[in-house]
Amino acid sequence: MLGDRRLETPLIETQGLTKLYGSGSGIIRALDGVDLRIEAGEFVAVIGASGSGKSTLMNMLGGLDKPDQGEISIAGQSLSRMSKRALAYFRNETIGFVFQQFQLLPKKSALTNVRLPMQYRRPRRENELELARDSLDRVGLSDRVHHKPTELSGGQQQRVAIARALVGRPQLLLADEPTGALDSKTSVDVMQLLVDLNRQGLTIVLITHDKEVADYADRVITMRDGQIIEDQTHAGVR
Amino acid sequence: MRLPGLTTLGLAMGSLLERPFRTILTMFGIVIGVAAVFAMLSIGEGTQKKILENIDSVQARTITVFPNWSNGRASRRRAWRPFTEQDVRDIQAIPGVFAATGDLSSEYNIVSEMSDWRANVVGVDAAYLKANDLKIQRGRPITDTEIERSETVAVIGTSVVRSLFRGQNPMGERLKIQNIPFTVIGIVGETDAQNWRGQDSNNFVLIPRPTGRSRLFGDDRLVRNQVRSITIVGDNQDALAMIEREIDFILRRSRSLTADEAPDFRIFNFSANRQAFAESQRTLSLLLATMGAVSLIVGGVGVMNIMLVSVTERTREIGLRMAIGARGSDIMGQFLTEALLLSVLSGLLGLGLGYAVSQISLGTDNIEMVFSTRIAILSFGSALLVGVVFGFLPAQRASRLNPIEALRHE
Repeated sequence: MLGDRRLETPLIETQGLTKLYGSGSGIIRALDGVDLRIEAGEFVAVIGASGSGKSTLMNMLGGLDKPDQGEISIAGQSLSRMSKRALAYFRNETIGFVFQQFQLLPKKSALTNVRLPMQYRRPRRENELELARDSLDRVGLSDRVHHKPTELSGGQQQRVAIARALVGRPQLLLADEPTGALDSKTSVDVMQLLVDLNRQGLTIVLITHDKEVADYADRVITMRDGQIIEDQTHAGVR
Repeated sequence: MRLPGLTTLGLAMGSLLERPFRTILTMFGIVIGVAAVFAMLSIGEGTQKKILENIDSVQARTITVFPNWSNGRASRRRAWRPFTEQDVRDIQAIPGVFAATGDLSSEYNIVSEMSDWRANVVGVDAAYLKANDLKIQRGRPITDTEIERSETVAVIGTSVVRSLFRGQNPMGERLKIQNIPFTVIGIVGETDAQNWRGQDSNNFVLIPRPTGRSRLFGDDRLVRNQVRSITIVGDNQDALAMIEREIDFILRRSRSLTADEAPDFRIFNFSANRQAFAESQRTLSLLLATMGAVSLIVGGVGVMNIMLVSVTERTREIGLRMAIGARGSDIMGQFLTEALLLSVLSGLLGLGLGYAVSQISLGTDNIEMVFSTRIAILSFGSALLVGVVFGFLPAQRASRLNPIEALRHE
């Protein structure tokens, strides 16, 4: 245990993370000095009302946005000073995204959708199709490989999206309201899938405004006005 | 292993095929543009070739002199003043003249034992065949002696052989013009040179000029020693201008005209005519070039428009691709490839259309065209250029989208 570096260096570490919007007197602090440590293997839910800064935080963690002040480091890489190009590479290698609206290409099969991130992997893998099939297998959709999103239910579409996030073997899965477009029964299935993936060792950060959804996580971070106001670990919930 | 380039191409192809009607409409302008550019270059090349080909031919070295109908004193006495045999001899003596011959001819009904047929009867001198680039195919030409003695011999063209003799061997046979019998002694080889009046250039009977003058053309108000026109061939094209000046000098002297008087004759320079032809072809080329350029620009704007629409429609897709690791250059490549593919397909169709249209117009018009891979590549290249130039802005716009905003796009 002492020799394991992952325990010493957290997967995610931010210091004084600040993001400003607007100008002059109308400045809004979307993030206001956020200090955060998340270890590898954690399942963290970030909860808060809209405008609390949770989406901005997720964009920051995913390398989609850069802070105005402060430091952010993920898997040992400092994102604050990365070029756009390097950030794209980082997103492809390290992050898996799951969105509320699934964001699948409507006219492409599940397999093609899942394979998409591998199109931007450098160097290209020879076994892209195999990886995509494995990934669909992990979310339990081996029998829907050639279906198009329009031929799948909402829950199945979100599973395809999760498979797409997994195909590149990311170190961090970022899920933005993954059940926001699903009914409650399907939501339970999708959340259970995320819990299973976390048990297999995947670090997950989940953004939600729904307390019930947040309860699937081991740790719940509550945000308001760009700041963390509560950080609770409650392993006993599930 | 899969080539990344192939995936991009397949992606672009798929995206175009998803909207076939829109794709075809967009291609239209470029197709027309490439076709016009292709036709323009082919005509330009054809004109060039025709001029180079003919530069040393007898036709290109020919000057013809005609009397002018309505001029000064001459017109009061007679409709026009013909030239004389002396004029022909003087012109023959000009340095640089390859051959010069007088022309005295009229149409007659000609009768053989089998048939009768209307043909142009030409009274010739010894230089006639040479000056008109004609070759004897069978038999022999009319000799100087036969001309001098006004003998009744005839050399005939292939159309006369076909029509008057029904294709049978006419050598030694008789034919009658105005009831005067002539003996056929030779046949002139088929010529495709265009008669200046647009008549069948193989439908003639050549007889000694003195014979014609004394026994046929006498009623034609032509007095002794006169010819209707003179045909002159220079040694080369460069000599023509000088020969033309000499002819002007000789004819003014013999017709008692001063240097500043308007001449009652007309010097028709075939090569000058050819330059006019080249000029008209250039005008046509210019017209096509303008049309091609306008079509290409309009087509290019169409491509740009449709690509901008495509970028807007696919904003969320672009956002997603960026989120999962596409770099700006990947997105740029994707849309540029799409624009390029559009122009490549249009370019190919344009080449096909250009070729098809020129094949049709070749049959109807006196337009010379030369097709070459160089021309095909040039016109095709113009389509590619349009694709790159007009596809760039939309592709750049796509590559600069902010992924966060793009993902939220509705």
